[in-house]
Amino acid sequence: MLVTAPLAEFCTLTIDEIYGELPSRIYASLLMRGRSTIQQLAGDTGMNPRQLRHGLALLLQHNLLYYHLDAGSPHHVYEANVEHAYNLTRTGKILQMVEEGQGPAAKDVMQTIILTGQTRVGDLIDAYQKRIDRVNRIKEALKAEDPFGDSTESHGVNGDTPPENKPKPNPQSSKSDPLITSTVQLKAIICKLVEAELLISVHKTTFESPEDLLATIESDIKKTYPGGEVKGNKAKAEYKDKVAEALRKQRSESRSLKRKLEQNGLSAKRRKLFDGAASANGTPEGEMDIGIDPQQVICLNYEKCLVELRNRRLMQFAAESFGTTTSFVYASVLNILSKNISRCRDDPIIDHYEKDDERPAPLVVTTAQILDALRTSLDLSSGLGQVDAEKISVTAAEKITEHAPRKKFFIDAEAEVDGDASSDEDEEEDVKPSLDLDYRPATNGVNGVNGTHVTNGVNGTAKRVDRRTRLRQHLLLLSESTQGFLRHCAADEWTIDFVPLMTNLRQAEIDATIENTAGREGIRLVRMLRAKGKLDEKAVMSVALMRKADMLKKLAEMHKHGFVQTQEVPREAKADVKKSFFLWYFDGAMTLERVLDVSYKTMIHCLQVLDMLREKDQHVLSLIKRSDVKGQEDDKLRKIHQEKLTQFLKLERMLLGQIQRVDDLVAVLRDY
Amino acid sequence: MAAPKSEAELAKLAILKDELYETIKDHGSETRTFSQADLKDLGVIPGNNTMMLLNIIQMLTNEKLLVGLQLPGGEIGWRWRSREDAKKYTSLPDEATMLVYSEIDQAGQDGVWIRHIKLRTNIQDATLKACIKFLESKGFICPMTNVEMPNRKMYIRADLKPSERATGGPWFTDGELDEAFIKVIEGIIFEYIKTHSAYFSRGTALPQRQPKKGVVTAEVRGVKRTATDISNDDATPAPPAVKAAPPPPKKKEMFLPMPAGYKKYPTVNDITEFIINQRVSTAMLGVADIQALVDVLVFDGLVEPIKVNNRKGYRVVRPTMQDTMSYAKRQQERESHPELGDADLGPTPLSSAVTEAPCGKCPVFELCQEGGPVAPSTCVYFQEWLGLKEKPAVANGTAPP
Repeated sequence: MLVTAPLAEFCTLTIDEIYGELPSRIYASLLMRGRSTIQQLAGDTGMNPRQLRHGLALLLQHNLLYYHLDAGSPHHVYEANVEHAYNLTRTGKILQMVEEGQGPAAKDVMQTIILTGQTRVGDLIDAYQKRIDRVNRIKEALKAEDPFGDSTESHGVNGDTPPENKPKPNPQSSKSDPLITSTVQLKAIICKLVEAELLISVHKTTFESPEDLLATIESDIKKTYPGGEVKGNKAKAEYKDKVAEALRKQRSESRSLKRKLEQNGLSAKRRKLFDGAASANGTPEGEMDIGIDPQQVICLNYEKCLVELRNRRLMQFAAESFGTTTSFVYASVLNILSKNISRCRDDPIIDHYEKDDERPAPLVVTTAQILDALRTSLDLSSGLGQVDAEKISVTAAEKITEHAPRKKFFIDAEAEVDGDASSDEDEEEDVKPSLDLDYRPATNGVNGVNGTHVTNGVNGTAKRVDRRTRLRQHLLLLSESTQGFLRHCAADEWTIDFVPLMTNLRQAEIDATIENTAGREGIRLVRMLRAKGKLDEKAVMSVALMRKADMLKKLAEMHKHGFVQTQEVPREAKADVKKSFFLWYFDGAMTLERVLDVSYKTMIHCLQVLDMLREKDQHVLSLIKRSDVKGQEDDKLRKIHQEKLTQFLKLERMLLGQIQRVDDLVAVLRDY
Repeated sequence: MAAPKSEAELAKLAILKDELYETIKDHGSETRTFSQADLKDLGVIPGNNTMMLLNIIQMLTNEKLLVGLQLPGGEIGWRWRSREDAKKYTSLPDEATMLVYSEIDQAGQDGVWIRHIKLRTNIQDATLKACIKFLESKGFICPMTNVEMPNRKMYIRADLKPSERATGGPWFTDGELDEAFIKVIEGIIFEYIKTHSAYFSRGTALPQRQPKKGVVTAEVRGVKRTATDISNDDATPAPPAVKAAPPPPKKKEMFLPMPAGYKKYPTVNDITEFIINQRVSTAMLGVADIQALVDVLVFDGLVEPIKVNNRKGYRVVRPTMQDTMSYAKRQQERESHPELGDADLGPTPLSSAVTEAPCGKCPVFELCQEGGPVAPSTCVYFQEWLGLKEKPAVANGTAPP
């Protein structure tokens, strides 16, 4: 990731916001000076070694640093891990995602892990055990006091607390009502999260920066060549392959935990037993311990979290394009596919395969799989227009695109993809609608508006279209889309080409930004320049159907924002400015950088404004930090202070919420 | 060149001259160039007498019925001119006016720039002006504007219409882009594409499936029915239909996407036909003109091209977010509330997080920095956005000091 000044500043501010000034100052120094030893850091920051070690320990605990020990060097060098520092912003989103996907109890565990940073499994279990014991004690005490309380609950035995707990008489006890009620449940959740790859094990290369890792591996492999040098094209290719393979091996180490779980038979099937009534049936608790070594250190896997977050964004994109029903179908496809996707973007070095046949096959999902995964409450008959069968070309709808689109595909939507030329020829099939079982008009009483009043000929009753057919209709709609949501890669098999799809999404985001800045005319000009390349004023004018003055004003405005660029082409050797052509063009990469830059700065400004607000309400905020006020703000604070506090919290929510929203954009542009 | 010898010969020549002129007219339009060989091959001149032919051509040229011009190979060729046009030439007072008029005439529908006339004819400014004035007063020529070069003073023959290139096509009125006209046609095209490429759902939920009439009930099943039972089947009243469930709550009206492979997405030809049939405009709108407008809609991100079986149609993007108000109703509303102005077509654009915050649209974004003249902590836009401060009547350009 390219670390620009605003990004560095934002990361420093985030760390300051979450962990305080000490680590943030160390971090800022690391970002500014690059990798440093502890002595250099002491010189740069003017801190004493004790402070430094505190700060570094905290940063390391939260995986915000890389360190490296060069062979023969007495000192470690530290380097900032910008990616993880930035990902701190996404904590809320990740927790929300875990809660929706894995349940509130899993979210609770995840939250604890995020708060504590890298954690030993044993420590985590101990901590929870203490919490559970404490709550149980309170419960016991309460029960003794109030014999009519909910005595039916059997804590520690039951798998999970029923969510519809009766309201407790004491508000304090209901607030601290734990989501995790037993260590068995905790272990099951950890297993589940590990299996979902959201948690990974920490191992010795976790703290190696990618560059160091690459350098180490490269030098190791080079040693195996005569003279330590790689000569000749063939050897170079082989060398590249070897490096990639070694890196892949390193990368897969973090997933060793998941593999171990699978080997021990603690994978999905078995776990389901534990999840449900198994523990109540008296399964010995000890059996769970096979799963995870209590000494194992685990941490959050941001890469996988990003994949899950991307799924959510893509679902939203589908909802915008085609409506909610289709987007739910798409979400199911994404969920199934992403089980085997570990990261959003392939690394050019690690995921380099010399031979095409070594490359892992693209993931596919079948219609039946999707049907099994769909929620039963989803009404597939909604969200899609219904038309006569003869208006549908089955050959076009069912077109199978075997190969991923070529790179140009998403730029020129009209480009024909290899292998589909043949499908254009058998057009006569379209004339026989009686054969097209898939597209029997669905006649459930919805009136078509364009004269497509559809009624079944027999007796006017609704004809039942089965769920699978309806599902296929939604899938085909997604495959047909110009955005490239889905690819029908074989009969009843579907896949997603993420690279072109994300390019389209990125473009849509940039377009939205431009449209909101420069209006509809602005986006018209940008799209035009993107489609046609460099154009001079007259050509722009004739295609855009705009008045010259308006057009020039708009172009100049967008030039100021960095959305369009100009190029001067002299007409003759003298390069007289008056006689030169000025060509306007749109540079996608440059615009992307520019929007990213503005996004970082916006987030910085939000944090700075928040700081300012904090300072303003300092007197109130210092009050609620007092131990005698904490937790009882409503009772102890004066009314005027209470009002100020609510106002401040509201503004804080607004600003932090805005950062989250900007981060959504950054994620699309940079990470997904 | 031998001069005509006698009256009889002159008369003969005059007859031949008319004959030749008519034959030439028969053989092609005014734009066809005839070489000498072509004229010879017409077979009008007895004995293919070159001398005589040249004499006759000379006479026709003098009467401005033939226009001589240089062919690419250096040869001389001729075009014919109608008698009415020729009459205009012969009615002109002097050589200079004739030269100017012939320049304008030759330029045809494209018109000619006055400076070009001057360059080609080498006539002095004053004379040229007088000539132009004379021709204009006679109604032979009129001034025109070219959209590509709006500053040039150009003239065209009065009886000709400026070419498309000069007027800029139907989207221009008097050399100016007619934005109001474009907007109206755009709106109609968009509405047409919207209603023809997306499915309009009235929002009535699908009724529950109900058992068919005459369903075999549980008691009857398993008992053999007698022949009379069967024959009376039609006569017996059907079991009372299950009371229809109350109509499900009405959902919102909305547009829905068409299923994949829909063959009737409107093409440019469909749209053109619709526009012509509706008699929207007196201007002749061709397929190419409509295509240009549809392209603009595509660039605006309102519609997208989609190819089904090699048939390139257009469909509306984000169908579920389109408003469902009918065109006529919207038109009415617009007329009753003209102060609202023209709303943009299509749904509101997708929001962008950057432009939501004040920074995305900030005019002093580049200067803004903590410690600088404009800083986030003192930013008025942020204060407005957070609702800490009332919006001032006139927004300041910069933050207060």
